[in-house]
Formats: sequence, C-alpha cells, structure tokens
Amino acid sequence: MKSDRATLIIAALGVAAATIGAFYGNNYHLLIIGSIAVSVIVATGLNVLFGLAGQISFGHAGFFAIGAYAASILSAKAGLPFVLAALAGAALAAGAGALLALPALRVRGPYLAMVTIAFGFVIEQASAEWKGLTGGWNGFMDIPRPEWIGGPMSDRTLAIACAVLAALLLVGFARFASSRWGLAMRATRDAEVAAQSLGANLVAVRTLAFAISAAVTGFAGALFATLQGFISPESFPFFLSITFVLMVLVGGQGSASGPLLGALVVVLAPELLSSLAEYRLMFFGALLLLVLWIAPSGIAGAAAGLWARVARRAHAPSTVGADDARVERYLSHTGGAALEVRNLSVSFGGNRAVNDASLSAQPGRVTSLIGPNGAGKTTLLNLVSGFYTPEAGRVTIGTADITGAASYAAARSGVARTFQTSQLFSGMSVRDNLLVALHRGSLAGGQHQAAGDATVLTDALLAWVGYGGSAERPAGELPHVDRRLVEIARALATRPEVLLLDEPAAGLSAEDTDKLGKVLRRIAGLGLAVLIIEHDMQLVMGISDRIYVLDAGRLIAEGTAAEIQQDPGVRRAYLGEGGFAAVAARAPDSERRTEVLAVQNLTTGYGAAPVLESVSLEVREGELVALLGANGAGKSTLLRAIVGLHRPLAGSVLFAGREIGYADAHAIARAGLTLVPEGRQVFPELTVEDNLHLGAYGKQALDEERVKELFRLFPRLATLRTRRAGLLSGGEQQMLALARGLAANPRVLVLDEPSLGLAPAIVNELFGALAQLRAEGRTILLVDQMARMALSLADRAYVLSSGKIVFAGTAVELNDNPVLERAYLGGA
Amino acid sequence: MRGLVFSAAFFAMDLNTFFSAAVAGIGLGSMYGLTALGFFVTYAVSGTVNFAQGSTLMLGGVLAFTFGVRLGWPMWAAAPASLAVCAAWSALVEAVGVRPFARRGSESWLLATVALGLILENIVLFSFGKDPRGMPASFLTNTGFEAAGLRVTLLQVAIPLAGFGIAVALNAFVGRSAAGKAMLAVAQNRDAARLMGINVSLVVTGAFALSGVFAGIAGMLIAPLYTVSAGMGTLFGIKAYAAAILGGLGNPWGVMLAGVLLGTAESVITAGFGSTWTQMASFALVIVALAWRPHGLFGRAGVKKV
Repeated sequence: MKSDRATLIIAALGVAAATIGAFYGNNYHLLIIGSIAVSVIVATGLNVLFGLAGQISFGHAGFFAIGAYAASILSAKAGLPFVLAALAGAALAAGAGALLALPALRVRGPYLAMVTIAFGFVIEQASAEWKGLTGGWNGFMDIPRPEWIGGPMSDRTLAIACAVLAALLLVGFARFASSRWGLAMRATRDAEVAAQSLGANLVAVRTLAFAISAAVTGFAGALFATLQGFISPESFPFFLSITFVLMVLVGGQGSASGPLLGALVVVLAPELLSSLAEYRLMFFGALLLLVLWIAPSGIAGAAAGLWARVARRAHAPSTVGADDARVERYLSHTGGAALEVRNLSVSFGGNRAVNDASLSAQPGRVTSLIGPNGAGKTTLLNLVSGFYTPEAGRVTIGTADITGAASYAAARSGVARTFQTSQLFSGMSVRDNLLVALHRGSLAGGQHQAAGDATVLTDALLAWVGYGGSAERPAGELPHVDRRLVEIARALATRPEVLLLDEPAAGLSAEDTDKLGKVLRRIAGLGLAVLIIEHDMQLVMGISDRIYVLDAGRLIAEGTAAEIQQDPGVRRAYLGEGGFAAVAARAPDSERRTEVLAVQNLTTGYGAAPVLESVSLEVREGELVALLGANGAGKSTLLRAIVGLHRPLAGSVLFAGREIGYADAHAIARAGLTLVPEGRQVFPELTVEDNLHLGAYGKQALDEERVKELFRLFPRLATLRTRRAGLLSGGEQQMLALARGLAANPRVLVLDEPSLGLAPAIVNELFGALAQLRAEGRTILLVDQMARMALSLADRAYVLSSGKIVFAGTAVELNDNPVLERAYLGGA
Repeated sequence: MRGLVFSAAFFAMDLNTFFSAAVAGIGLGSMYGLTALGFFVTYAVSGTVNFAQGSTLMLGGVLAFTFGVRLGWPMWAAAPASLAVCAAWSALVEAVGVRPFARRGSESWLLATVALGLILENIVLFSFGKDPRGMPASFLTNTGFEAAGLRVTLLQVAIPLAGFGIAVALNAFVGRSAAGKAMLAVAQNRDAARLMGINVSLVVTGAFALSGVFAGIAGMLIAPLYTVSAGMGTLFGIKAYAAAILGGLGNPWGVMLAGVLLGTAESVITAGFGSTWTQMASFALVIVALAWRPHGLFGRAGVKKV
C-alpha cells in the first residue's frame, strides 16, 4: 500500500536523522532524541486506541507509569535483564488496559473521559504510596541500562536504539491499521452499529484496542525510565496524559506518521522556545485549539488530504475490476436457509412496537415488508438482526435459532443488513469497508490471508452491485447512490444467508431505483433470502415475490403484489379511507383570499441527496391546505424547511410577504408560523399546563381564559392539567401538541402527521377538532397519512411524489383523481 | 490534598475526629456539588460539558482576591464583579470551544475546553504571579462557635448553606420562571423548543454563563480554606467533574448528593488514613461506581437508538 511505503520512508529518515544527531550532538541532544523516540512510541500506542478505535483516554500516563515502574523494579531489584523487564512492564500495562476496558466499554464520551482520568490519578497516587516498591515521592533511582555488546548501553547507543524501535513501531502501526484487527477497530470507530451488524464483537475489539495501546505505552514507559535513570510519581502527572493526546491530535489521529510529527512538535517546540518555557501551558493550549479548529485530522491528515487532491488531479480514478463469476461463486447458496419470524413482540415504554408478528423470507425470493410510518418495520428488522431483544417469539435462520442473539452473533449466523440512513465507515476507503465484512468480524488471524485475492473479491463485489467509482475513494465522500450500493456490497461481503434492506431506494432517482431492483433480484437469484422494507411502491410491487403489510405493530395482510393492492385493509391503512364524515364543502372563495404562506421553487436535501426539487405551494388566509404523498416523498422535509429546521438550498419561503427561508426556527415561530411536529414532541417531564405556556413563549402570556378556550377544544386535557406530559397516552399527547401549537395563536398552523400511530376513535376526535378549527377560520397546512380524511377537511391539496409536486388543485378534484392512489400504492 | 487546611490528624479516629471530618467533608462536598451543578446545567441543555470549569473556579478565587484584597474593594462589589467575569469567561468558552464543534456533531469540545482551561491558567500564572496567596482572615473565619465540643467557624457553616441554597434557588428558577422552563424545554427536546420560539443558542450561552457563576462562587468560598493560585482549580475541577459523573449528569439532586458523598468520603478517609490515600481511594471508587452503574449512581439509562 502507498501509505505503508510513505511511512517506511519517513521512519527510515527519522532513524537516519537520529543517528546523525546522536553522533554529532552532545548529551543534551541525546536526551532530546531519546525523548522524541519515546514520545513517538507512546503516541503510536495511544493512536491505536484513539486513532483506530476512536476511544479517548486522559489516563495514558498511568500505563506509561506502570511500564516504567515495573521495568525499573524488575531489573533493579529482581535482577531481570532490562529488555525482559521492559517486556514484562508492557505485559503488565496490557493487563491493566484490558482491565480498564471493562468499565470503559460500558461508558462513553464524558463518562469514558472520567474513567480514564480517574485511572491516571489512581496509578500516580499508588506509585507514591507503595513506598516499599516504588520509593514513594523520593522516586526510584539507579535504573539499569539494557545490555549491549560488552556491558550496559551508552547514552548514544540507547538513543539510537530508541529511535530504531520508534521507527519499527511506526511501520508496524501502518501495517496493523490495514490488518484484520486494525480494520475492525476503525470500523467500530466510524459506525459502531454497522460494525456490529457485520459481525464485529464490540467488547472484543475495544478490549484488544485498550490492551495493545496500553502495552505499547507501557513499553515506552520502560524506555523512558532507563533513559532518565530516575522516576518518581511527579514524572507521571495528569498533564502528561493530556500531552500524549495532544501529540496524537497534532500529528493526526489514525495516521501512521502522525505520532512522529506530533512528538516533534510537542517535544521540540518548548525546547526551541526555552526562553519562553513559562508559556508552555499556553503554547500547548493554543496549539490544541488551533489544530481542532483548523486541521481536525492533524498535520499528517491535512498533508494527506492535500496530496490526495493533487494526486487525483494527476490520475484518473481507477474503477473497480469486474469478475461476475467469482462473485456468484462466492455468494451462491444451494438450498439456502429461510428466515422465519414467529409471533415476535416487543414494546417500548408501554407502546407495543411489534405485536405478535410472523413472517417468512424464503431463499431465492424477494420478500417485502411495507406499512405506514411508525408501523414497526424497522423495529422488526432490529429484532431480527439482534439490536433489540424480543419479549416473545422466535427468530430462526434455517435450523439455527437466533432469537435474542447479540447483533454480531446474528451476523455470524448469516444475517446481513443495510440501514435506513446508510452507515458506511466514512473514514475508510470503499474497499476497506468491504474488507471489514469479509470474515464476519472474526478476529482470528492477523493480516488478511492472500490479501490480493481478498481485494479482487471486494472489487468484483463492488462492480457486481453496479458501483462504478474508485475502490480507494474514502467512503465519506461518496454520493448518495454510491453509498447505497457500497452498503449493499458490504453486506454481501459477509456471504450472508439472509439480506435485510431498510429502505434501500430512499432518495434514489427513478432510474437508479430501477437498477437497484435488478440488483436485488440478482441477489435473490443466487439463493439468498432478501427481505426489504421500502416505501417506493413501484419498486416493491415490481420485484417482490411476497409482501407483508405491518400496521401499528401487527401484520394486517400478506400476499402477492396484486393481492396487496386490492386488499381493503391495506387501502384503509394507507389512505385512511372512510371513517370520517366529510365536512360540507366550503364556498369556493379561496381565489379571493390573501396569500399568507408561499413556497417558491424550493430545493433542498441532506448531503448530496436532493429530497425536494423546485417545490412551490401556497396557503391563503383561512384555508386548510392538505399536502399528501407517500412516505419518503419529502413532506416532512418540506415542512421542516418552511419552519426553519432545515435549510433550503435554493428557492424561497415567503410568510406574510416576508422572506423567511433562511431565518432561524425560533424567529419564524415568533413571527406566527407554528409547526406541530411529527411524533408530537411534547416536553415529557413538564406538566400539560407548562407545555401550553411554553407554546406561548415569547408571545402574549397565556391567561386563564385562553387556557380554558384550549381545553374547550380538547376536553380531555382539562382533567390532565397538572399531569406530566410524558405520562399521557399517544392521543392525549397529540391533543396537547395541537393545543400547544394553538397557544401561540399562530397566523398559520402547520401540522405534520397528527394522526400517526393513533387509534381510529382518537383519529376521529382529532379530525373533529381540526374541523372546528377550520370552521373558526384558522389557516392550516396539513400533512397526514390519512389522505381521504385529510381531503374531507381540505379546501385545496397538493400531492408530492419523489420530491416533486405532481398535483395541485381543489380537494374535490383530487378525491376523484387516480394520481393519489398511484402515489400511495404504486401501480400504473 | 496536602494543602488541606482543615485536614484531620493522622491518628486513629475517635468519634470527635469523625464528626469534625464529616462537617468539613459536607462543606467541601457541597462545593464539589455546586461546581458539578455547573456541569449539569450545560450538559442538560447542550449535551456538552465544560472542562474549563476548574479554571473558572480558580478565576473566581483569584478575582475575589485581586478585587477584594489587592484593590481593596468592598466584598459587595468584588464578589459580583468576579462572578460577572466568570460568567463571561464561560460564555466565551462556549462560543469558541464548544459551539463550533457541537454544531458539526464532533466531540472535540472535550479537548477544546481542556485547552481553554490551560490557556486561562497560564494567563493567570503571569498576571497573578506564581506564589499562592492566602486569603486574609475575615469575620467568616474569625467568628465561630462551639458545638458538642467542636469548634465550627462561620465559614464552615456558610459554605454548605451557600451550596444547598444555590441548588434550591436553581431548582426554583428552573421550575418557576419562564426562562427556567425554556431551559427545561431545550433540555428535553431541542427542536420542539425552537418551534416554540425559544432561542436555543441563547439558552445554551446562558447555561454556560450560569455554570461559570456556580464555579466562581465555589472558588470564592473555598479560597479562605486553601490558598489562591493559578493551579487551585485543576484538581478541584476534576473532582467536581467526578461528582457530576457519579451523580449521573442528568439529575441535579443526584449531582449535588454525589458531591457531598465524595467530599465526605474524602474528608473521612483523610482523617482515618492520611491525606495521600484520599485521592487514590476516591478515584478508584469512581471507576468502580461507573463500572457498576455506567450512567452514574443516580442517572438513568437512555434507550439505545439504532
């Protein structure tokens, strides 16, 4: 690999420079050379934990001290040769690292920082207290030198030896980073959940990272001890741990040559500025801030980025090599295993997310799981792939029972999956993303055996799913379509029996969706069981052998595409047909009303994927406008863009004639445009009354009369006034969310999926309240899955499909128009 | 802890020693708790903590000394002025060390706030001088009374009173005032809070300023017990952080209680076994406690999202 060679050259140059320096320099120079070498080794050790595994440690001075004391005591008191004593120190540090990994694995972020800080202090203090062994605060003197030809090493030989060791470790790190272990660590760093879904055992990987990192750091501590000849608890203060982190960050997290650059800066700079020695803290602090602001990937990372930009301009990106026969040999299953889900149930906080669901996905078939938003589809996928534990029911793959198995164990049993928001290992190349998956996360074996062969396979897999870019491209830079494809290829690299896909077509163009459909059929053709969750009905109806429909956690239908499209229960779940008596049509005076909200040519998206393309709509005073469309059409994104929670890329939003497209959400809310968001989002720890008062925040305070008025509209709330909102039922929370929105007395009220996940009786009550609001002349923009019900209230309606407005007209016109059904249920 | 003025003697504890250690520990612990409340408020509204909190505490002590002793201002002027600077400093830390990173979902605020703490410490080292200063005796340290054979100074009473008083005041502020409710709303659901018209970044800045005030008060109150110096906040800040983590970061009373527990344990261990064992024991306890309850002793586990 290229980076390997670069590291080799840098390491060789480093050794040469150190040797020259050692021969021409004085004792002070020798000390500096030794310090730099030891720092490089420590930073490399920390780089394994921090750079590869992504775990911060503010306690590495502890491992450094363990190595230093163990080596000193064993060589000076027990008479062990220093080299052996140093190795024993490293082993002891590794043990401490593995032990520290136990609590550290259970905590994250600020909690992990605390555990490591505490560890550093415990070791520092223990070295002071264990006077018999360590000499306490007086320190430990006369630490032996390693033996060399004819006696202990001289200062010069020792400095050169340290430099050589540091160079070896740099090169070793570069190789380690692309070994099976290194890849697994980087994968868990970039996307913990995805790594588990490919078979990585988080506990094993992180424990290993802690142990290796601690061992290297402990070894460096031993070298430090013999270089200095004297150590005391004051050699290992908390601040030293911060210096270590600084070296890794300045050099570049995860980069092999980073520790050298970091150590050079952190050790040399204070020496060169020795007249300003007192400003050391300030220098380190400022350096740390600068790196974090300007070059988060450190000097090495910034240089590599620059080089990549130059290099890319020079060479055309190499595309991946196709080899379909190899892929098909690798993936094909004869008599593969079926996924069977039997009576599966799980609940979260009293809400039964999946309720007694059974389905089967046969090998060689494409099975689809569809249903309205919040039906429990992704939850079911998470139950199958081991991210949630079911409360009842069974999951089997062929004859293997994987009910309640951990996610990595499910992956090793042959379940592979993709995610709704694709979870690539963004800091790794496309090829490395697949290499991680090749062994289903098993850590046995170091370097990839026959690495050449492995990369031929990964590249062939990429080509087979239709990825046409470079395999060396960092996954984080990929456009949306490629992210989807690479994620599928990565899942396939585990050679699964069952492939689960969570909304693979979301955000894809019609053409790309078409290609995706063909790929999925080809995968099934090789004998895998393919189970997809998807909202794109065109795709679902086109490729599925069997379709299951989930609604509110229960299976409500199963059958072929044609059967599902005709099923009255499915139509009800999707379109909300019937159930609510239409409100008498209003006089068609809409044309004459003044416009309050106008969206003009709005385009926006997430990252590279456009979700809305040049969307325009308007809402006039006193109107109720319905915005309809299938899941994933972009309705919520449009609403979020209108109220300022999401930034438009182009176009404008006019509210009462004023441009608000780029204003802050809170300013828009104060101007009188209020969104009642999807999923209610009440403040769970606050009372009903407090929630209402917050609705009027920054406006005229809510007086008792207005509160009473709101309770008249939602009588259920009146008795719950002092109850915490989190304890309310879903329906009550929705009423509260609406009342909270109205408390602001907004000029336009925007409602996102108010009926979502509510029982039919509650939905009727809710729509009753909406009808009353409409009668009072409120201006409302309504998004709701219950399309027919929404239409029965609306004056006008828009239909959004794949980010574009495909219909605009009166509600009556739309009710008779087939465009609606097509948008929801697919078909011609 | 070697500078601990009221650290008890090294002899085996009799009941009297125990009680006096406990009294001292509750005072110390309430200051850990107060500083930890600062971690709590910023974590609640922004999911971030300010590792420069120790430096803010030091700033409180150093400024109180500078304004009140060196410049001879009356305390009613020196104290609020010091706290105003502490609040401004914390707000600055948020603006340059937290917001730029939190906005892009990076956890680098952790290191950035450490860096800012180092910088402030160094600035103070230069402007204030290297030598630790003792706060001159005042009526707080001179006045005292005997209770059950123990000599208790007014300061020893004032410290826990201030600590708990502020915790109660915080509770009242958050639960009663509109601004406090807005903070709760931001803590519980940031986007929904924005939809209510709440300026979330202003609330976050306010929370950091408030955390600075808490640390500043703690710094001023402990100054007479220790000496005032540029380095006085580092270890204290870390221990307060340990209290915040042990308390679970999400629970103000848990945080306060953990602070008192930590302070009392420390003080009693010091009295019984000598001051050097204290740190080792208390930090080892932190590790064990977190291994046992990863979200703190009084924290709640969140639902893991996939």
